[in-house]
Amino acid sequence: MATPIKDVVLDENRPKTLLAEKHADFIIKLFHSEDNYEFAITDYLRMSGMYWGLTALDLLHKRDKLLRVDLFDFIKSCQDPESGGISASLNHDPHLLHTLSAVQILCMYDKIDILDIEGVVKYVASLQQPDGSFSGDKWGEIDTRFSFCAVATLSLLKRMDSIDVDKAVKFIETCKNFDGGFGSRPLSESHAGLIYCCLGFLSITNRLDIVDRDTLAWWLCERQLPSGGLNGRPEKLPDVCYSWWVLSSLKLLGRLHWISSTDLENFIMACQDGETGGISDRPGDVADPYHTLFGLAALSLLGYSNIKMVNPTYCMPQEVIDRLGLKPQVLA
Amino acid sequence: MHGRLKVRSTEEQKLLKQKEQQKKLRAYKYAMNQVAATRKEIPFNKDSLMLCAQVLSVNPDVYTLWNYRKEVVLQQLEMSKDEEVDDALVSFLENEIKLTEQCLLDNPKSYSSWHHRYWILQRHPKPNWQQEFSLITKYLTFDDRNFHCWDYRRLIINKIGISLCNELNFSTERLNINFSNYSSWHYRSTLRKLDSECLEEELELVQNAVFTDPNDSSAWFYLRWILSDRNVTNEKREELLESLTQLLDMDPDCKWILMAKCWLTGSLSLTDNHFAEKRIMDYKKLKELDPLRKGQYSDYLECAKKAIGTEK
Repeated sequence: MATPIKDVVLDENRPKTLLAEKHADFIIKLFHSEDNYEFAITDYLRMSGMYWGLTALDLLHKRDKLLRVDLFDFIKSCQDPESGGISASLNHDPHLLHTLSAVQILCMYDKIDILDIEGVVKYVASLQQPDGSFSGDKWGEIDTRFSFCAVATLSLLKRMDSIDVDKAVKFIETCKNFDGGFGSRPLSESHAGLIYCCLGFLSITNRLDIVDRDTLAWWLCERQLPSGGLNGRPEKLPDVCYSWWVLSSLKLLGRLHWISSTDLENFIMACQDGETGGISDRPGDVADPYHTLFGLAALSLLGYSNIKMVNPTYCMPQEVIDRLGLKPQVLA
Repeated sequence: MHGRLKVRSTEEQKLLKQKEQQKKLRAYKYAMNQVAATRKEIPFNKDSLMLCAQVLSVNPDVYTLWNYRKEVVLQQLEMSKDEEVDDALVSFLENEIKLTEQCLLDNPKSYSSWHHRYWILQRHPKPNWQQEFSLITKYLTFDDRNFHCWDYRRLIINKIGISLCNELNFSTERLNINFSNYSSWHYRSTLRKLDSECLEEELELVQNAVFTDPNDSSAWFYLRWILSDRNVTNEKREELLESLTQLLDMDPDCKWILMAKCWLTGSLSLTDNHFAEKRIMDYKKLKELDPLRKGQYSDYLECAKKAIGTEK
C-alpha cells in the first residue's frame, strides 16, 4: 500500500526569473481598487492585507511608488479608543492580528507616533491569560499565533515590560510536541505556520534554548518536496507561504542549509503569474498579496539579489529592525 | 487564497460574473452596515441576526459578525438569568450551534466557527457533549488530518471524561485504517508517556507500520521519538538494526531506512566503535539518495567523523 507523495510538477514554460516590476504593479493596483469586488469583500482582513502588500513593495525597493497620506489616517481610524486595539478596517472589531499588522506598517514608515501607543500596550497586556497564553481578542480564542502577535507588537514598541514574559514562555513550552514542533495550543499537532510563530516568539524573548533544535530542524527540512516547494505538515501539498514559515524557522535555528535553495527558488519562481504579476500558492493558481509577500520574503532569505534583506523573526525589512535597534535571537 | 485555480473565461462570462459579484458585494455591505447600526444600542435585532447568518454561511472568516452574535447571546443569557431553564434560550443557543455546523460543513478549517461553537456550548444550560463527541468522531472520518477536529475532540473528551484507554484504542483504530496518517501518530504521542512498560508495545506498532510501507514518512517520525527514550535497551536497538538491514536489502534506495539505521548506530556507537564506521557509510549514501537535504547529512557526517577522530 505505497503512499504516493503529494506534490506538483513544474511546467517547462514556467517563469524562471523574478518578475519584480510586475509584482510591484500588481500590489499598487490592489491599493487603487476600492470598487473591486475581491478588495471590498475582504475588508475583514484589510489591515493584514495592507501589511502584506506594503512589505512586499518595500522588499522590492518600490515603497516610494505608493505614497498615500490617507493610509495613515485610515490606520489611525481603526484604533478603538476604548480598548486601544486595532481592527481590520472600519466597522470591524479590534484584534491582535490587525494590531500587529498596523504596528508593523507604521514602524516601516517610521510613523508609530500617530497611534495612541499606551492604548496599544494596554490592549495587548489585557489579553494575557493567567497561564501566560494570549487571547486574540476579548472573546477568548487562545492560539500560539496570538502569543507571537503580542510579543512582536510589544517589542516593536519597546514595551515588553508590560506582560509576564516568563509565563508567556512557559505556555509556549507546553505547546512543544514529540517531533520538536509546535501547534496552536498544548497537545495540538505541529504545523509549520505555528512553528514559525513559536520560534519567532522565542527569538524575540531570547529563549530559543528551549527548542529541540535538530529534531525540529529535521522535521522542517523534510517539508521540501521533489518539486522544490515546501509543505506545512507531512503528506500535504507544497504552498508558497510555507516557503516562508519553514525557511524562516530553519534560519532562526541556524539550519537554512538543510534544504535545497536552488530547488525552492525554482518553485517560487514557478508560482509567479506572468500576466498579472503577483505570486500564488501553487503554479497556475490565482495570485494574491499574501503569497506574494511570503514568496518574496523567502527569496530574500535565500539571498536573492534585488530584494531587500528581510528579518526572519518579524518578516519586515532588516533595515527597519536595525533602525529600531532590535536584535532578535538567531542561532548560529 | 489557497488552491484557487486560475481559469480563462470569455468576455460574456466575465460580465456575468461581475454582475453576480456586485450583487454579493451589495448584500455584504448592507449586512455590515445594518449590524453596525443596530449593534450598539440594542444588540438583539432579528434582521441583523438573519443578515449576519447569511454572510457567515458564505464566509465564516468575517470575525466581527461572530462577535456581534456573542454580544446577542450574552444579552439573552442575562435576560433569562433568574428563570430555571428557559426553553426560548435553549432554542436560541441551539440555533447558534446549527449555524456553526452549517459553516463548518463548507469550511471545516474555519477557526472562528469552531471557536463560536465551543463558546456557545460552554454557556449552554444543558450542553449535549455526547452529541458533540459523536459529531467530531464523524468529522474525523471525513478528514482525519483536520487539526481543528482533533483539537475539538480533545476539548470534548475532557468534558465527558472519556478514558485514556478509550482514546488509545481510537488512535490504534485510526492508524490501522491508515498508517500514513500523521495526525493519528501525533495524537497517540500526546496520550503516551514513554516508560519501559509501553515502549515494547509502541515499538511493535511503529515497526509494523514502517515495514508495511517504508517509503511513507509519518511513522518514521514516531519511531525517532520512541528511540529518543533511554529505556530502549541496546539489545533492542541491535535487534531493530538487524531487521532494518534486512528491510534495506529489499528496498536499497529507501532513505528512511538508512536514516533510522543512523539513529540506531548513533546511540550504539557510544559503546561500540564499529557502528561509527557504518554510520559514516550510511550518511554518504544518504547524501546521494536525497540531494535536497544533503546539507543536513553533511553536518551529521562531519559529526560522525569527528566522533571517530576523538575516540582513536
